[in-house]
Amino acid sequence: MSLSYRIAYVFLRNLYSYKRFVVPTFLVSLVEPLFYLVTFGIGMGAYMGAFGGRPYLHFLVPGVLATAAMMSSSFECLYGTFVKIVHEKVYESLIATPVSADEAVAGDIAWASFRGLISGGLMMAVALAMGVAPAAAWRAAVLLVFLVFVGVLFGSLAMIVTSVSPSFDFFSYYTELVITPMFFFSGVFFPLDNFPGWMKVLAEFLPLTHAVRVSRALFTGDAVPGVGWSLAGLAVLAAAAFTVSTRMMRKRLIK
Amino acid sequence: MGVLVTAAGLTKTYGDLTAVAGIDFEIREGECFGFLGPNGAGKTTTVRMIHCVSPLTSGTLTVGGLPAGIGNRALKKMTGVIPQEINLDNDLTVAENLVIFARFFDIGRREAKARIAELLRFVELEAKAKCKISELSTGMKRRLLIARALINRPRLIVADEPTTGLDPQARHLIWQRLRRLKTQGTTLVLTTQYMEEAQQLCDRLVVMHEGRILKEGAPARLVEDEIGREVVEVRTPPEDDARIVGHLAGFACAHERVGDTLYFYCRDGHGTMKKLLELDLPNTLNRPATLEDVFLKLTGRSLHE
Repeated sequence: MSLSYRIAYVFLRNLYSYKRFVVPTFLVSLVEPLFYLVTFGIGMGAYMGAFGGRPYLHFLVPGVLATAAMMSSSFECLYGTFVKIVHEKVYESLIATPVSADEAVAGDIAWASFRGLISGGLMMAVALAMGVAPAAAWRAAVLLVFLVFVGVLFGSLAMIVTSVSPSFDFFSYYTELVITPMFFFSGVFFPLDNFPGWMKVLAEFLPLTHAVRVSRALFTGDAVPGVGWSLAGLAVLAAAAFTVSTRMMRKRLIK
Repeated sequence: MGVLVTAAGLTKTYGDLTAVAGIDFEIREGECFGFLGPNGAGKTTTVRMIHCVSPLTSGTLTVGGLPAGIGNRALKKMTGVIPQEINLDNDLTVAENLVIFARFFDIGRREAKARIAELLRFVELEAKAKCKISELSTGMKRRLLIARALINRPRLIVADEPTTGLDPQARHLIWQRLRRLKTQGTTLVLTTQYMEEAQQLCDRLVVMHEGRILKEGAPARLVEDEIGREVVEVRTPPEDDARIVGHLAGFACAHERVGDTLYFYCRDGHGTMKKLLELDLPNTLNRPATLEDVFLKLTGRSLHE
């Protein structure tokens, strides 16, 4: 692997280009959490009673935070990167400079993770404004760091899909067959306790399940069984996904 | 003049397809070296190996004494690339495109600012610094590609069909800029399908076809050796060929029939023409031989797709 400080240059390029989209993306990142928190949190939450002695929103927010980071980083590495490779030819001009293909990919994953952090951060701000705060102030900071990691993980996974994608349509397989199920089966909106055994097992294979578990443990401060294993598993998966994604992208970019 | 680029047995295959089939060439420091050939001849593949974005399949290729290769950042640092396809960053302004490229080459902010101002002047785009890429004409975009390729003060510039799709004014402006770079000592590697472009810019060139080099030499020399000085074209039905060729038996002319035209390649076009007029043919033309004649003779007149 050929990685150096030049990753920062690729990140910088994305930051320059982002200047033009910053207002619309901030708006979207703000409106989306409001939808979740208002509809599920307040609307549905009214019927849910208390979750572990706290209002439903305290259960919902950490799950939605991880989901938001997943969504933003995934879409950035799917559509954003695909446009840069196929339509805009940004990668082509990049690899003719001292910046390597690996650095271009890593820079884009770093960028996707940053986008995830913005989404998560804005959602956290909305939640705080609604009076839903983590158990301690330092937990908010650690949670944001965790969201960066979640972004790297899902950005790398999406990058693998992008490396073999012939067109935009191909992404539907990933979003519909992987992302959407994770959204519903990872314990974001309700605990997995009432699922039948096989579904619980299945849920353990979804990375978002573990991300939500860690996020919730960080947010509530409750002792969550298996949270250490979840974190370790996510770290291994992130490292593997990153390695595979750079290798496959190299195949796509260098001919 | 030293040698900057040396290729020996340079080969590139994609699966069963051989794009470059074991070619040898040398590019000297400070010259403009052209790769001429029809579509699919292997020109772009060859120059992509020179500027280290495509790995070789076999053979050797050195640039400035260093082996060319994907990971060779030192070579990429001393090379400027003017790509065939306009791959400017559409999300960025004209100036930002250069600012970001300067970062890619580790050029400090202050130095970058000075170079960008100078380069925008060089390609006559000072007034467009803050414009979006979509607001530029094709000619302006091509000029910006040149400025971008120069941001790292390259020793070697690789220009892959740099004037495709341009009107004559824009094309001449680009030629002038490329010639000025050459006078400053920069080595220029050019691929083109335009014979006039090759004649205008190249000190030496190779004609490529199906991954091989067919001929190498200075443009004028190639024309002289392959075609002669003049060409006489006679537009007649093929039935007349025997009669006309027989009539010109006394002249040392090679002839070739292509479609509706009979071509004579000769040293003494004037004499040939005079003799030909005796036949009182309706449609004859005597003109100087050009690189295009060489090109068509070597690569055949059929379509290459």
